[in-house]
Amino acid sequence: MVRVVTGTALLILLIFGALFYPWLSPFDPLKPDYRARYAAPSGEHLLGTDGLGRDVLTRSLAGGRVSLSIALSASALAVVLGSGLGLAAAAFGGTPELLLTRAFDALLAFPGFLLVLLAVVILGGGSAETVLALGVAGSPLYFRLARSYTRSLLITPYVLAATALGASLPRLLSHHVLPNFLGPILVQAASTATVFLLVEASLSYLGLGVPLPTPSWGNVLQDARAYLTRQPWAALGPGALLALAALALQLLSDGLRDFLDRRTR
Amino acid sequence: MVNLFLRQLLSFAGTLALVLTLVFIGVRALPGDAASLRGGIEASSEDVAAIRQALGLEAPLWRQYLGYWSGLLRGDLGESIREGRSVSTILVERLPVTLALASLAFFLSIVVGFGFGLAAGLNPNSSTDRFVLGCTTLGLTAPEFWIGFLFILLFAVTVGWFPLIGYPQEAGAGLLSRLHHLALPALTLAIPRSAQLARMARAQLLEERGADYVRTALSKGLGRRGIARHLSANALPPLLPLLALELGGLLTGTIIVEQVFGLPGLGLAILGSISARDYPVVQGVTILAVVIYVSVNWLADLSQLLADPRLRYG
Repeated sequence: MVRVVTGTALLILLIFGALFYPWLSPFDPLKPDYRARYAAPSGEHLLGTDGLGRDVLTRSLAGGRVSLSIALSASALAVVLGSGLGLAAAAFGGTPELLLTRAFDALLAFPGFLLVLLAVVILGGGSAETVLALGVAGSPLYFRLARSYTRSLLITPYVLAATALGASLPRLLSHHVLPNFLGPILVQAASTATVFLLVEASLSYLGLGVPLPTPSWGNVLQDARAYLTRQPWAALGPGALLALAALALQLLSDGLRDFLDRRTR
Repeated sequence: MVNLFLRQLLSFAGTLALVLTLVFIGVRALPGDAASLRGGIEASSEDVAAIRQALGLEAPLWRQYLGYWSGLLRGDLGESIREGRSVSTILVERLPVTLALASLAFFLSIVVGFGFGLAAGLNPNSSTDRFVLGCTTLGLTAPEFWIGFLFILLFAVTVGWFPLIGYPQEAGAGLLSRLHHLALPALTLAIPRSAQLARMARAQLLEERGADYVRTALSKGLGRRGIARHLSANALPPLLPLLALELGGLLTGTIIVEQVFGLPGLGLAILGSISARDYPVVQGVTILAVVIYVSVNWLADLSQLLADPRLRYG
């Protein structure tokens, strides 16, 4: 439980910073200030400035806005797409189930990072495109989970009893099947969000994800790579925030898993 | 047994064909026109049309698809637009760097991951266990390229033990010099992967702990070492397919690290070709990566079938 609380608190803090940075910081994350280029950390610029004189801390906070919303909405997409189709596939069975299973298996036959990278290039890069690529690439796991849970839940005595009482298929699925595997799916979703956060950062770091000048944790770090040895602080700050956000989500996922395990045991 | 092997082979071939078809479609969906790129900015529209004709881009899609397959079967992956050399030559040149990096990282992550996983899983709820869990959480959540930055700053800039970036390309470069250049990138790659392995090994050991044979062995007075031997012999083989997944994924998982450390492997090749819109090379690297990934996974499944007779039925 400690981990769930710590993770949630950290996450709320980061989201707070990302939402309210215009009020927290006197600087504009986009406006260059050529008199203050490559400034070392000081009382004015807590994490220093980058090559265009922009405040690194402000850019890191602003980057969180983009990175966190991409990671969270992409995992939501993966969960909804994967488990929705998994539920439907198991409920209807037959040819549709076979076709869907084959399609998701084909996605799994690609090495994950390469798949997302090529998808982003094909779609043209940008926030919405990254969400789409990540969401689709992440969905097979949820398809498999939802399909196998639904299959085994549909033949449990209480579902059979509900069927005998005349419950319709939609009602069975929404009231008796779905609630019973929502827990494990949520645990998995938190850990998927961790991975997506890191993958989005990697893509933007490579210049393929969120395009400049909009700051995301990845492309702020790409900026910093160019003068890494000259002013390491510009790389350390945003990277630490990114690592902290990933840590928060992972703690949340681990804590929830243990909590659910204890309850079911 | 022969029957089973044939069925496995058939499903392998089917997956491979499907995936390679997807690659064909994907590469044709990439933005930009190969002909106008090869022609350069000076080319007139007639020139571009001539190049299109020469590259076979005017042919109907099904003919291009057949051509793609006949090329694949002959091992001909086309020609790089940027360099004018055959893609296979480029792959053969780049593969050793990535392979060396991936195998070093794989070896490191197995040693560290299983070491940590065994230490934690054999002593559940001890302080060792908690320490390992903490380490794996940090290892899983630290961004790879950022760890790379930290290593460069710490070990290359501040202490100066390792070279900043790059890789000795000349044939005469010694093994030690190569290892010296690969050490930091391999360590960077190994950190999240060993964390993942440690967690899986630990979970598997904990699961196995509740088995009846462990209770029997305990009641017959078997010592800790004996129990540990039984546990690891039963708990670790199921991790084999996961290892294969890791190994197969490493071949393209090196992209970021190659970029951070400036290693001229497959990762840098595909990144450079993406930004130069040199799609034959993008296609070639993707095909190589996918074929290796699918094959390694298939071999892992097969070896598990051979190792565990229970899986052959049911």
